[in-house]
Amino acid sequence: MKLAVFVSDYRMTVDTLDRLSPEKMGIILVQNGVYHATLKENGTPSSILNKSAEFYALKEDLETRGLDTSMVDSKVKVITLGELVDLMFNDYEKTAWI
Amino acid sequence: MATTKLGFIVQRPPYKSENPKLALTHAIATQSVEVYLNEGDMVTADIAFIGDGVLNCKKDQKAMDYYGLTSTDQHIKMALLVDINIWVCKEDLEKFGLSEDDLVLDAEEFGADMTVNVVPYSEISKKMEEMNHLLFF
Repeated sequence: MKLAVFVSDYRMTVDTLDRLSPEKMGIILVQNGVYHATLKENGTPSSILNKSAEFYALKEDLETRGLDTSMVDSKVKVITLGELVDLMFNDYEKTAWI
Repeated sequence: MATTKLGFIVQRPPYKSENPKLALTHAIATQSVEVYLNEGDMVTADIAFIGDGVLNCKKDQKAMDYYGLTSTDQHIKMALLVDINIWVCKEDLEKFGLSEDDLVLDAEEFGADMTVNVVPYSEISKKMEEMNHLLFF
């Protein structure tokens, strides 16, 4: 299964993401999830970025929060809403919002 | 004659919930309650951003450009304009690798005299003790 997972929170209260093991996983950081792409708490990047997945962060949600795309971790690709739609239709079979 | 001091403590990041904006708008609204008070009575409001709440103070937010929303940094500027004290926890800011340069610090363009104060948590804690009521958002 090719699964796109939307992460919309910075503080995760569920461990569902750890339990998912699709053949291909894309983690799409949206809303407050974009902080995973930019913040380094005590100098350490978010543990989400250690997962085996492709990472994307929504440009609109980064800039809404005053986060410059230059702050984004090199593992994460910054995409627009239009590119997100293409990604969902072309690269993944299912989506999940956690 | 008495002054009631309200302390608004913001501990959540912006936008995912309404909480941080509610803290700001409620604090700003305290400026208009005088009509309901006895002569000589006053209500003051101070706002402290701690924990993930410090992320509300990031400058250059573009919520209006993308979502048609007044950004949280604009609300902070409005709070400064009505002379509300705003404190930001220095330790929590540094934990995220951010500095004062990353924050909205004043509202000079609107003619505000007040500025955002980045202070150690110990100072915020002292201010909290001075308050009559604490409201956590």
